[in-house]
Amino acid sequence: MTLKDWARKKSIWVFDVNAASCNGCDIEILDAFTPRYDVERIGVVLVPSPRHADVLLVTGTVNAMMKDRLKTIYEQMSEPKYVVAVGACALGGGVYKGCYNVGHGVDKVIPVNLYIPGCPPRPEAIIFGILKLVTGEPPDPKEEE
Amino acid sequence: MQLLQLLVFPGLTFFVWIAFAFEWLERKTAARMQGRVGPMIAGPFGLLQPVADFLKLASKEQIIPKHSEKFVLTWGPPLYFAAPAIGIIFIPVIGNESIIGHPLDLLFVLFVLAFSTLMASLLGYSAAGRYSTIAVGRLVVQYTSYEIPLILSVISPAILAGNLSLGGIVSAQSNYWFILSAPIGFAVFIIASLAELEKPPFDIPSAKTEIVGGWMTDFSGNALAYVKLTKNLSYVFLSALAVTLFLGGPNGPVLFHQIILQYVMNTIYFMVKLFSVGFLIFVVKTALARIRIDQAAELFWTILTPLSLAQLGLVILLR
Ligand code: SF4
Repeated sequence: MTLKDWARKKSIWVFDVNAASCNGCDIEILDAFTPRYDVERIGVVLVPSPRHADVLLVTGTVNAMMKDRLKTIYEQMSEPKYVVAVGACALGGGVYKGCYNVGHGVDKVIPVNLYIPGCPPRPEAIIFGILKLVTGEPPDPKEEE
Repeated sequence: MQLLQLLVFPGLTFFVWIAFAFEWLERKTAARMQGRVGPMIAGPFGLLQPVADFLKLASKEQIIPKHSEKFVLTWGPPLYFAAPAIGIIFIPVIGNESIIGHPLDLLFVLFVLAFSTLMASLLGYSAAGRYSTIAVGRLVVQYTSYEIPLILSVISPAILAGNLSLGGIVSAQSNYWFILSAPIGFAVFIIASLAELEKPPFDIPSAKTEIVGGWMTDFSGNALAYVKLTKNLSYVFLSALAVTLFLGGPNGPVLFHQIILQYVMNTIYFMVKLFSVGFLIFVVKTALARIRIDQAAELFWTILTPLSLAQLGLVILLR
């Protein structure tokens, strides 16, 4: 393991985007930063700007209004970057599946590295997902294409 | 030999490692005060967390926004880093004299402080983002309000010592520390340092909840790594300045005859004082909430400037 890989595994800065979610998932993401779960233990920090972030956490179904904005945010992040879809909505529409006014998942808009299911997922699941992302070599959707 | 001292101990490398330790202490203090545990897995007790952050940022891609000033964004961050890095080698650590002592180095150190804010505003303006432009406006307003109390509070120890060099000020404190005769000056210095470092309650130029990342919003990769390291180094620089001016620098209660032992003990005294001042700043910073920019200006102009002037008068009477 080189020094670079070590640093990337120990320091994960996340940026959280609410792309038309019901806010349930966002509250669970913030839960992971509270004293009970405290993801700063494993080096996760919530950063204010997407340009600082390594991991983009996207919640919600990504409707027509958020689509371009999500793309802009994704393009502002610097490589190496990862995208994590959090919650059933971000995976494929969730409870809103089939509605005329919603999107059907984050991976229709930007490449996703990891999916965390649940409506909303528990903070444990989110922590597990982030750990899996950095230690378990997640599949890279950009290479598969 | 002198070059080795400048670059390794007690020069740049030494202070960069202290800067990392300061960030670790800051994050741990904040975490413990909020009932969390803070960084745990990078190194023992998470001690290597700031190093991991730095290496990760430095290894990332750097995006330079289209409308920004490319030249400044490329060369500005190293120059910004140079400000506290040059200032800090004037701090006496192992003895009464710093590595490159000069009879007027207090003035140079003040210039370095001003230069660092100038660089920050230049960097923020060249990024040409909306948030960074607002942040620079706030930064400059804040700068004009805290600079005068900061300089007035620095003058008191200089008058007490009758000397404008940091080495001279340290030697003059071998019997008693200047915090005893200039306690208000010390308090004003710490408050103004909080403003200089953009920490709560004066984190107005980098208010996360209002203007995203402040003037650092559009930075990424290498530039962000430098800027973050510079902020930590400024932390160490201002704490070291407080130790030098008010807390006796490397002077300690016991004197030794053996020169090497004296050097070691001086370094230990200095480190203990440095980390105590750092810890004081961290506790204040974590405990307080942000105030508005007009409140900050009012605080500095109507309360702290008269207070530091009163301190100055008192010191002149005492002398
Ligand atoms: S997955 Fe459930 S909790 Fe999350 S945004 Fe969708 S509806 Fe809300």
